[in-house]
Amino acid sequence: MTITDHLIIAPILIPLFAGGLMLVLDGRRREVVTIISILSTLALLTVAIALLMASMEEDPARTVRVYLLGNWPASFGIVLVADRLATLMLLLTATLGCAVLLFALASWHRAGSYFHPLFQFLLMGLNGAFLTGDLFNLFVFFEVLLAASYGLALYGSGRARVSASLHYIVINLAASTLFLVGVSLIYGTAGTLNMAALGERIPALDPSERRLFEIGAAILGVAFLVKAAAWPLGFWLPTVYAAASAPAAALFAVMTKVGFYVILRVGSITTEASGGASMLFGEGWLFAIGVATIGFAAIAMLASQDMGRLAGYSVLVSSGTTLAAIGLGGTGMTSAALYYLVSSTLTVAAFFLLVELVERGRTPADDVLAVTLEAYGAEEEEAEEEEEVGVAIPAILAVLGIAFLACALLLAGLPPLSGFIAKFALISNLLGQHWLTGGGIVSVQGWILLFVIIVSGLTTVVAVTRAGMRTFWTFTERELPHVRGLELSAVALLLFICVVLTVQAGPIMRFMQLTAHGLELGRPYIGAVQAQPGAAPLKQERAP
Amino acid sequence: MELVISITIGVLGGSGLWLLLRPRTFQVIIGLSLISYAVNLFIFSMGRLRVGAPPVLLHPSVPGDLEHYTDPLPQALVLTAIVISFAMTALFLVVMLAARGLSGSDHVDSAERGP
Amino acid sequence: MSTDVVLLTALVVLPFAGSVVAALFPTNARNAEAWLAGGVALAELAIAAYFYGPIARREIPRAEFEWLPQLGLNFILRLDGFAWSFVVLVSAIGLLVILYARYYMSPDDPVPRFFSFLLGFMGAMLGIVTAGNLLQIAFFWELTSLYSFLLISYWHQNQNARDGARVTLIVTAAGGLCLFAGLMFLGQIAGSYDLDVVLKSGASVTAHSLYLPTLLLIAAGVLTKSAQFPFHFWLPRAMAAPTPVSAYLHSAAMVKAGVFLLARLWPTMAGHDYWFWIFVPLGVTTLLLGSFLALFQQDLKGLLAYSTISHLGLITLLLGLGSRLAAVAAIFHIMNHATFKASLFMAAGIIDREAGTRDIRRLGGLFRAMPITAVLAMVAAAAMAGVPLLNGFLSKEMFFAETIETHVASALDDALPYLATLAGMFSVAYSLRLIHQVFFGPKATDLPRAPHDPVFWMLLPIAFLVLTCILVGIAPQATVGAFLDIAVRAALATSTPDYSLAVWHGFTPALWMSLLALTGGIILYAAMLKYLSGDVEGAPILRRLKGQRIFERAIAIASWRGAKGLVQSLSSTRLQPQLVLLLCVTILAAVWPLQKGLVGLYVPKLHEIDTTFLLVWIVGCVCALGAAQQAKFHRLAAVVLMGGAGLSTCLTFAWASAPDLALTQLLVEIVTTVLLLLGLRWLPKRREEADQPATALIRARRFRDLAIACTGGAGLAALSYAVMTRPQTSTIATNFLEKAYAEGGGRNVVNVILVDFRGFDTLGEITVLGIVAITVYALLRRFRPARESVAVPEQKQFQDRFDAEHDALSKEMISAHYMIVPGLIMRLLFPVVAMMAVFLFLRGHDLPGGGFVAGLTLAIAFILQYIAGGARWVEARLTVLPVRWIGFGLLAACSTGVGAVVLGRPFLTSSFQYVDFPVLGRLPMASALLFDLGVFALVLGATVLILIALAHQSIRVSRTASKTSQPAERAI
Repeated sequence: MTITDHLIIAPILIPLFAGGLMLVLDGRRREVVTIISILSTLALLTVAIALLMASMEEDPARTVRVYLLGNWPASFGIVLVADRLATLMLLLTATLGCAVLLFALASWHRAGSYFHPLFQFLLMGLNGAFLTGDLFNLFVFFEVLLAASYGLALYGSGRARVSASLHYIVINLAASTLFLVGVSLIYGTAGTLNMAALGERIPALDPSERRLFEIGAAILGVAFLVKAAAWPLGFWLPTVYAAASAPAAALFAVMTKVGFYVILRVGSITTEASGGASMLFGEGWLFAIGVATIGFAAIAMLASQDMGRLAGYSVLVSSGTTLAAIGLGGTGMTSAALYYLVSSTLTVAAFFLLVELVERGRTPADDVLAVTLEAYGAEEEEAEEEEEVGVAIPAILAVLGIAFLACALLLAGLPPLSGFIAKFALISNLLGQHWLTGGGIVSVQGWILLFVIIVSGLTTVVAVTRAGMRTFWTFTERELPHVRGLELSAVALLLFICVVLTVQAGPIMRFMQLTAHGLELGRPYIGAVQAQPGAAPLKQERAP
Repeated sequence: MELVISITIGVLGGSGLWLLLRPRTFQVIIGLSLISYAVNLFIFSMGRLRVGAPPVLLHPSVPGDLEHYTDPLPQALVLTAIVISFAMTALFLVVMLAARGLSGSDHVDSAERGP
Repeated sequence: MSTDVVLLTALVVLPFAGSVVAALFPTNARNAEAWLAGGVALAELAIAAYFYGPIARREIPRAEFEWLPQLGLNFILRLDGFAWSFVVLVSAIGLLVILYARYYMSPDDPVPRFFSFLLGFMGAMLGIVTAGNLLQIAFFWELTSLYSFLLISYWHQNQNARDGARVTLIVTAAGGLCLFAGLMFLGQIAGSYDLDVVLKSGASVTAHSLYLPTLLLIAAGVLTKSAQFPFHFWLPRAMAAPTPVSAYLHSAAMVKAGVFLLARLWPTMAGHDYWFWIFVPLGVTTLLLGSFLALFQQDLKGLLAYSTISHLGLITLLLGLGSRLAAVAAIFHIMNHATFKASLFMAAGIIDREAGTRDIRRLGGLFRAMPITAVLAMVAAAAMAGVPLLNGFLSKEMFFAETIETHVASALDDALPYLATLAGMFSVAYSLRLIHQVFFGPKATDLPRAPHDPVFWMLLPIAFLVLTCILVGIAPQATVGAFLDIAVRAALATSTPDYSLAVWHGFTPALWMSLLALTGGIILYAAMLKYLSGDVEGAPILRRLKGQRIFERAIAIASWRGAKGLVQSLSSTRLQPQLVLLLCVTILAAVWPLQKGLVGLYVPKLHEIDTTFLLVWIVGCVCALGAAQQAKFHRLAAVVLMGGAGLSTCLTFAWASAPDLALTQLLVEIVTTVLLLLGLRWLPKRREEADQPATALIRARRFRDLAIACTGGAGLAALSYAVMTRPQTSTIATNFLEKAYAEGGGRNVVNVILVDFRGFDTLGEITVLGIVAITVYALLRRFRPARESVAVPEQKQFQDRFDAEHDALSKEMISAHYMIVPGLIMRLLFPVVAMMAVFLFLRGHDLPGGGFVAGLTLAIAFILQYIAGGARWVEARLTVLPVRWIGFGLLAACSTGVGAVVLGRPFLTSSFQYVDFPVLGRLPMASALLFDLGVFALVLGATVLILIALAHQSIRVSRTASKTSQPAERAI
């Protein structure tokens, strides 16, 4: 085993160690804890990049790396699997982590107890969920990241957070219970927990066992949908995210993607065995759910008063779009979905951070007033004396405004930023990778998705414009928000990455296509895991 | 035997679900505990029932297979599940107390439903 | 990179770069701004001039950059004659507007923002015209919408500016999204987004089955952008913008983008009747409506806005006709309109600035006050009216001539000439009105300011444009001949039709139509004069109907109230409905697979049911049901009953040969119960009678919940039964049984799995425990109990009263002596329980026990001490640092795993050997034992932390309470 092999588990161990150290210090030496946190997050970023590099190998067999925990054979031990998809998610998480930490260091990490440990544990949970190749281990890491997310959602306490978290916790406890039932049912029928092994065991099941297995898979699927906050299981999300502290909310942006990731992963592995349709969702359910989610979120955006909820619903839009995209299936669609996922996740995170900066020192009363004016103002609209001299905008406000504009464009998928590229990729794939020359036709689902994407874009424009005008053009009445450089730089970092995504769209999309191709029927994944020999563990002495 | 266990699981789970849907946080927490019992039994039952099988390995001469022993894996899973559900119960308890403290109500929506 | 490529790129990049630079200037740097912006515009013109040669030689300079090649999206710049002519138009008028704006904007305006946006807009516009890739068009299209939004809202402190900007953005952005989709369809149909390919594939496009949807989507984009009926209403609202913006965007640039695209796609898509039937009717309607409404505007800029709408309608109509001559006329009119309308807007701006109002009724007799402005404006207006010897006349006449031709035989086509003449009359009328009512008639008396001609630099741009109008009008061929030819040839992409740019074609029908329009217009104006001078706002018939108002109400209702209602009906922020949904979805999902056929169930054999076991479970079930029923009013009872159910679960585990589970379940049971009991105190009292009687609705809800609960429970039962009664198929379980002792070094397979085979799960599991512990701790630090539960519990109050009566004994003594006997026992128990923990820990690997169980046991020992002596007593005697224990536990468990890594094996690889200990005897010293030690420490720490944190609340609160409530007693 070389160091590079051990890299695979580093994304889980680094934050775990960091968290443990912090607890031993028990928050006494704040600066030490902070330094540990910074170092660990940077280390995570490095490792993620290294793994991504390793997964870029041309030889498809080498792109999937397997790590046998405890050196037990993959057949009954727990394995970690790092393929392109997993490493991509790792990198996304690490990047987000850096930005969020940067933001939190300005002030937030002093707003309550144990920010850094919880932050590290959340990263650990996310990374573990992305890496593990064992269903029950997946459950465990779900619990880790959920527990940490509870902690972060409650971070700073306060009535809104506590009562929002109450819902969050209950619903996710219910979902976890479903997860357990599904997993155990799968074990009871298929007799294994290893995802790769499932792929080959399914065909061996007799019909009624097969049906039990499918029931288990379906229950599992529901649990994942709750994580992905799909309609009608995602109403809790906007409240919780809006109530949570900004860094927490920004980090949560990637949590819905865990649900998406698992659906994609398990789906792709079980697809071949179940003959085409994904084991979790046959009959285009996923597509329907995704579209419903987009539609609901698009309307809800219009109806949402404060920016926090707006951001929350934008999470739903992005989650729904990805679900619908993989619901349609096909390598091209999946790659587009992945590109969209990266772009939208970063955007939403940036938006959450930005909202907090903008809303500082702003009473909810202004919002309500502004909204009612905006909504009902159509009647009493008399032109007050026109003042035809522009008002100079303070620098800080200008910067925030530009950032807000960028976020709005990204969310709505308008040019010139990566949101536009993502929508273009999605639409051009649903119109058919092969061109429509010579009378091709577009499927009904294609039309529906096209319609929904366009409309959601429009509603986003309307909603965000309203919010933006309300916030930035009524600033004259009140004092400016006090914003620190670190916080701005965090937002800037995220937006900058979106710019890179736009400019380098070609190579990045190529990577996404390779990733999607690697997922096809999960063959490389299963192959790599099955190929692992169970190396004999080191033993000194046999017992008598 | 199996019948009894499964009926039990049903009853535990059913009463747990019923409580889960109640408006008071305390009912919910009791419900969650009952559900976790049911689920633990459920996981356990996935390894089939063996009565009177030795809990630990006997002399190496006895072959290690399901003829002589129970399926140990579900037990391990149940242990993990127990721990996690214990942790979550504790967490939920405290959150519910905090919510009641901050909002003054023990309703799950932290506010009595208006007429 | 060749010079062409560099210059082409510069053509698009320069304005954006300039816009960024402009934004960085200080707010009062008007001259610097003007110079910068003007410089950029000049540079654009220079580049255009450089390309004149190749363009004239019918070459098409091209620059291509790879962007997203695998999806056919490359960044292509393509400058053919048509694009070139637009580049000239846009940058020339841009230059003039910048010059004008320098003097128009008031000195204390923060102009950097203004010029930055203006340059950005210019860049976006140039991007559209030089786009060599369909998607680039959509790309820059949205950018123009965005910049126009920012420019219109420049004076965003004004309500009108905000509304105008929002309406504009929403309408044009919506159109842009449609256009985006439409262009993607077009590209997919043509087989490439590359404009060169698209322009060549006209036949295949019009023949394609998706032609109509494509056309409709593109039309949506074009019509919104060019303010065509029924989307025309945003343009008048946009007049809230500063006048230079109107002069630029709403005469030459933005509104022309739509018709530009129409002309661009003309060779590809015009060859179909749908084209005619979409654009001609709408064009005609817009033409008539615009010119009609323009006549009745009282606001000068409003009049110009509506006239712009009508002229755009005219152009759309021409392009819609589908004949090449019509297209020529359209392109020619695009240029002419740009010149005279821009100059008119600027003139209007001057009048507004000088006179302080734009209301035509208040203005009058300005000719004497500002002669130069008046003359210029009059010439431009005349051009707008289509007076001979001015450029407007030429394109108008081409238009008239074209309407007479037949294109698609139909009533509409036959009616065109008459409608055209009618529109002509109106345009003459409103031009006349503009001239007459503003510059002649009685001299206005009540003007806010005393008007006079502005500085020379402000008049220069207007003069230049007006001069163009005259020159083109007099000697068209000599002046614009070549220019127009270049544009037309490139636009039509086919052989240019032979058209003659002459002022005089003899007495053609078109001439008669022009004359008719002129005379008719004059008569019309004379007739309407009285009505117009009256104090009426808007047109006689259409005054009531206001597009933008309708639109805004629609937006307000749809986007606000409607959406809100819909969301409330579609979702819920309350918990119970969400859980109900979740459960229903789950049940549905679980039932779904059964469509394909049911699952075979074995019939139970009753005789083998063990009666005692049955008894255990009857009790268990009764407990569960009891708990469910009692939980609302009798919490204590519910906790006890729950414990009962838990105990019977333990028994089951023990029964079914799972002692580890039984042990763990039991201990967890104890701790949970303690927790709940500690928590009970903070919950509100609930009395049965206090509860309101159940209404029908509540009963229905309860019934629903009951049904769900029963279904769920039954389903769970059925599933477990189905699996249990089925033989175990191939499972990985045997592996564990075989390897546990040989390779894991332990007889207790379950424990070996936990610490070795699946030690990773355990690592995660204890992490969860740790996280929860610190979360609980952090939350309780800020715990604020409800007021009524702060009061001292009844029993204690009773006790205190008792103490108060017997004041011989001090309170401290009492509280120290209550439960003195159990306290003693518990203290004595401590070492015993501790030993028990150690024992359980050590035997774990071979027999039931292990780190987790041991940890819980010791934690319980601690709790006993707390119960016995009270928190203060304990913490006075031993320091409890649970958080550090948690940290230590994590690190220990981790390090064990990393040890293997150091030895070159994967994480958590175990090794073991047996060691003889003096007292304890021969014990397995597996590395897993160290791991288990970590588990032990963490579990201990976490459990103790949670319990203590909760227990401390009582002390804290009662302390605060006693501070506040009972100072008297403290005095004793």
